[in-house]
Amino acid sequence: MLNSLLLPALLSLSLLAMGQSMPVAAKVCVTDDTGANVCLEQPARRIAALSPGATELVWAAGAGDHVVAVVSFSDYPEEASSVVSVGSHTRVDLERLMQLQPDLVIGWVTGNPPEQIEALKDLGLPVFSIEPRSFEDVSHTIERLATLAGTDDVGFAEAQRFRAGIAAMERRYRDAEPVSVFYQVWDKPLMTVNDEHLIGKVITLCGGVNVFGALERLVPRISSEAVIGANPEAILAGGMGQENRHWLTRWEAFPSLDATKKNNLYFIPPSLIQRPTPRMLEGSRLFCEKLDDARAKR
Amino acid sequence: MSRSLVTPLFVLALASIAAMVVSVGTGSVSVPPGDVIAVILGEGSSLQQTLVLELRLPRTLSAFATGGLLAVAGALMQVLLRNPLADPYILGLSGGAAVGALLAMLAGLGGLIVSGSAFAGALLATLMVFGLAHGTGSWTPSRLLLTGVVVASGWGAVITLMLAISPAQRLPGMLYWLMGDVSYARSPSPALALLFLVCLLVVPLGRSLNVLARGPMQAAALGVSVRPLEWTIYVLASLLTATAVTMAGSIGFVGLVVPHMLRLVLGNDQRLILPACALGGGALLVLADTLARIVIAPEQLPVGVITALLGVPTFLYLLYRSR
Repeated sequence: MLNSLLLPALLSLSLLAMGQSMPVAAKVCVTDDTGANVCLEQPARRIAALSPGATELVWAAGAGDHVVAVVSFSDYPEEASSVVSVGSHTRVDLERLMQLQPDLVIGWVTGNPPEQIEALKDLGLPVFSIEPRSFEDVSHTIERLATLAGTDDVGFAEAQRFRAGIAAMERRYRDAEPVSVFYQVWDKPLMTVNDEHLIGKVITLCGGVNVFGALERLVPRISSEAVIGANPEAILAGGMGQENRHWLTRWEAFPSLDATKKNNLYFIPPSLIQRPTPRMLEGSRLFCEKLDDARAKR
Repeated sequence: MSRSLVTPLFVLALASIAAMVVSVGTGSVSVPPGDVIAVILGEGSSLQQTLVLELRLPRTLSAFATGGLLAVAGALMQVLLRNPLADPYILGLSGGAAVGALLAMLAGLGGLIVSGSAFAGALLATLMVFGLAHGTGSWTPSRLLLTGVVVASGWGAVITLMLAISPAQRLPGMLYWLMGDVSYARSPSPALALLFLVCLLVVPLGRSLNVLARGPMQAAALGVSVRPLEWTIYVLASLLTATAVTMAGSIGFVGLVVPHMLRLVLGNDQRLILPACALGGGALLVLADTLARIVIAPEQLPVGVITALLGVPTFLYLLYRSR
């Protein structure tokens, strides 16, 4: 009995001592979303995050203190807006980025220009490229970032919190009455998402049925006619409601639409569900509440 | 070469060197002039070496090569088609290159493959116009021009179609490519070598080009074999444009206006104008790219915006002054 308590304690003590005497020995390797192996001799201490989503994920992984460069629109968490910006995710100012001497760059597979990412690799910087496409990808990305930054404690706990939150919602809405949904990403041109998109996955999670879920493109451009033809029970738009009120008022011109008839026209703050980050949990809860509201009006 | 030819070229060469010095010395990160010299002499911190030697210098040389190639190609096209509105892209070459590049981007490929398919598209466009303009009847510059312009409209439609159906997240990259951007350029040496070779090649051709610019009948009467000369110009101009577009996307304006600007100042002697275009076009694009890098740093502007903003008033001034 005494042994079983003492042994782990002794072990962790000796590990702690080792950790103090040889802090450099921890070489870590992870695989990024392009399949490339990214290895660091020591935990990343100067991180450059080349997309607003990457910035949030690094913070979620507990490595926010080590971020030295972000790109424009990196507005969450609040501390991120005080970090030096190195341009936009579509065009990075390589000069300014090199000046900050990052030891890890977090790239965005489909967002950053491939030439620039290649140039950074040629300059000898380790680049970890991400492209989260599912809830599990969000957790897994946070864990890998935590491993690279040596912040496993915070990162793995956060990843687990997100995983558990999503799992709880899956259980809760598994048998919910289906609601047909149209999600409006943009107004002009009218754009929506298919089932492969993370927002499409939020719709499914909440027991919604995306009327355009089967379309082939991730973010299809569609006509108003197609929306009226599909006659969704609820219409949700990614907006704050003040500056883009007309996004939803346009549907009030069609009283034959079920969503209009029942007044199931809702706004969802886009930053909560349009970035693949832990904030999706909050966004998904809001989304599900709207669908619950639509169910209550039956 | 007479002195009247050498002096302007010497001045332009000095201007080009000055532009390159400014370009290598400025950026969004400030490196003091003394340190830039130290870096070039092989000293300086490793960060400064990266900034100057690996980021700025290749980009400056690429901008110079691209600008020079486009201006020479534009001057050649204007002689060939005897049309002041001709530019390197008028025969649809940039359209072909753009379709090639956008196809590669649509497939999610990057870097060398995008450049490679742009070059392939440019060559395809050249061959198409070459073949179609020949047709069954006689061949004339106006026929070449019409064929080229119609083919170019076709490419334009294909580009619009591709932009309309491509995924939203790929759009910014595609649009920046279409606007032209020197930051895509990789190794500048092949383009610089080509520019230098072509300058050596066209100077002996200059006399014949001067005659051709007055019209094919006069040229033939004066003993110039017009048809082979015209095809040589076409192939040369296409090769230059294809190389430039492959390096930096379709940068507008330089190829159209630099030859005109230099003609307004230096007169219309092709022996002088063609090498002058290589230097002047290069210097303009180097300056424009420097501004594009620093005006709203860390955000970067497409270089085509700056070339036009710098070039339009200069050109209008020269035109106004010349009456």
